[in-house]
Amino acid sequence: MVDVRRVRGGDGLAEINDELDQILDSVVENTRLATESFFASYDKNPDPKVLAAWLAPRAWREIDYVFLLNEQIRRYGLEFERKHITLLAKQSFQEAEHYEIVGRAIESLGGTVPTSVPPEAKPWSDFLWECLERHPLAAIAAWNCSETSASGSFEPTFKAGERHDFAEVVRVYKQIETDEKFHVGLGRQVLAAYAKTDHDRDEILRAMRGMRDIAWKTFTPESVAQARSA
Amino acid sequence: MTTFDSRSLGQASELFELTIAELRPVAEGVVSLELRTPDGADLPAWQPGAHIDVLLPNGIVRQYSLCGDPAQRDNWRIGVLREPASRGGSSYVHEELRQGGTLSVAGPRNNFSLAEADRYLFIAGGIGITPILPMIRAVAAQGKPWTLLYGGRSRRSMAFLEEIGGLAGGEAHIVPQDEFGLLDLQKFLGEHLPDTLVYCCGPAPLIDAVEAKCQIWRSGALHLERFAPSDKAANKEKGSFEVELARSGKRLVIPPYRSILDILEENGCKVTNSCRAGICGTCLVKVLSGVPDHFDDVLSYEDQEAGDVMLVCVSRAKSDLLVLDL
Repeated sequence: MVDVRRVRGGDGLAEINDELDQILDSVVENTRLATESFFASYDKNPDPKVLAAWLAPRAWREIDYVFLLNEQIRRYGLEFERKHITLLAKQSFQEAEHYEIVGRAIESLGGTVPTSVPPEAKPWSDFLWECLERHPLAAIAAWNCSETSASGSFEPTFKAGERHDFAEVVRVYKQIETDEKFHVGLGRQVLAAYAKTDHDRDEILRAMRGMRDIAWKTFTPESVAQARSA
Repeated sequence: MTTFDSRSLGQASELFELTIAELRPVAEGVVSLELRTPDGADLPAWQPGAHIDVLLPNGIVRQYSLCGDPAQRDNWRIGVLREPASRGGSSYVHEELRQGGTLSVAGPRNNFSLAEADRYLFIAGGIGITPILPMIRAVAAQGKPWTLLYGGRSRRSMAFLEEIGGLAGGEAHIVPQDEFGLLDLQKFLGEHLPDTLVYCCGPAPLIDAVEAKCQIWRSGALHLERFAPSDKAANKEKGSFEVELARSGKRLVIPPYRSILDILEENGCKVTNSCRAGICGTCLVKVLSGVPDHFDDVLSYEDQEAGDVMLVCVSRAKSDLLVLDL
């Protein structure tokens, strides 16, 4: 009924829509598998601090989106319609709310909320910011792919939440799930509205492909184990 | 029931070509039509309060409550009052339709369903008896107590009096205005009865009066069906329209420059949402009746055209009234 990837507002992606969808499908699937793998491992040792460690890069993503979106608006916002400035700012506000509520969930599990980029999230963060430097639309493409990837983690998280009764995490993720539909739709609309040239589309594809290869990695049990041993 | 745009039809409901098996006067200015499939097959099941959309051969579409017996699956019955100010709907039914003829019908749909209660108070004005009659029959069959307050201009103008007289287990107060004056709403609604649900259908002044009296009743006790948008809607500010919440019968006026979502929230009706800009689709709501005016960026054109759902954060109404599945 509602497919936010098909949001209207421009035809700048018409030539590459199919490839973008393949990239997004791929990253969602990889994230789903990584999340299932994490919770399979968590089932054997349901230590709340492990769950908190798994959530830490999620929390960093939220606050890094806030920094990035505000910089995106500052640098490139006046090339966009005013409504898109408003909506990007609204997304930024919601990401800040997510940082707050994910942070609260981490603390309720006995973990520590990151206030600088966690090592396991650094490749993700570096790539995002590199995209911002390269092209006005590249960072939007990268976060759009990253935001979409998270949707692969929701169902396995909700199922694990039922098994382990971490209701607060589930509640937080239900809110994030709702808001991410907005963020994914907005990103796609902005890209479609302002991509005009083949160069624009090449940069969008580059950013999406790059993020496809990174976004799912911090969902794996190996990433959490590495972070905890560091 | 009248005045809904034909674009609201047929998407959620199957279309039938039915035979007018019987057409007969049942009161002054009121005819009853019994509709059957040409081969006598069963029609879709329906519950009291349901209506059908009648697609008249002159292109006009009208909604009429089913007033027969839901247990009789081989026919649907409607009652049609000839409206003095008919714009071609009821006058066509009265003047042009003939027994043995055919009629296109869509439905049934139900925006006025009967909820569980210990007791029921039914209030009908004129042809508003049509959705009420099967409700009384259902309640009587369950052996639950019921009261009917039925008003009309004159006894001759009041349809189905004989049938009502044969229904068991309740008390029917038949109140022709030329004999007894207006319905004594204070007597029946002046005190809140916690175990009772009130169902009312009739002309706008009656509905408005019942709504006013029920202010002291608990929220959700009153269920309404109007023949036409209320006077509030008729006097509406340009760009405003009404929204009815089907599960409570509550009506809200949506002013220009305010979203449906804003007004729903102000009235305590929570709807999931995020962008409030027609992008995320999370505030999707089913439209049960009326014609939405879509301003979102995410519903497919097919879904927009069908008009069965809308995003209440940005979309508005082309009709005076939208009935939402809320």
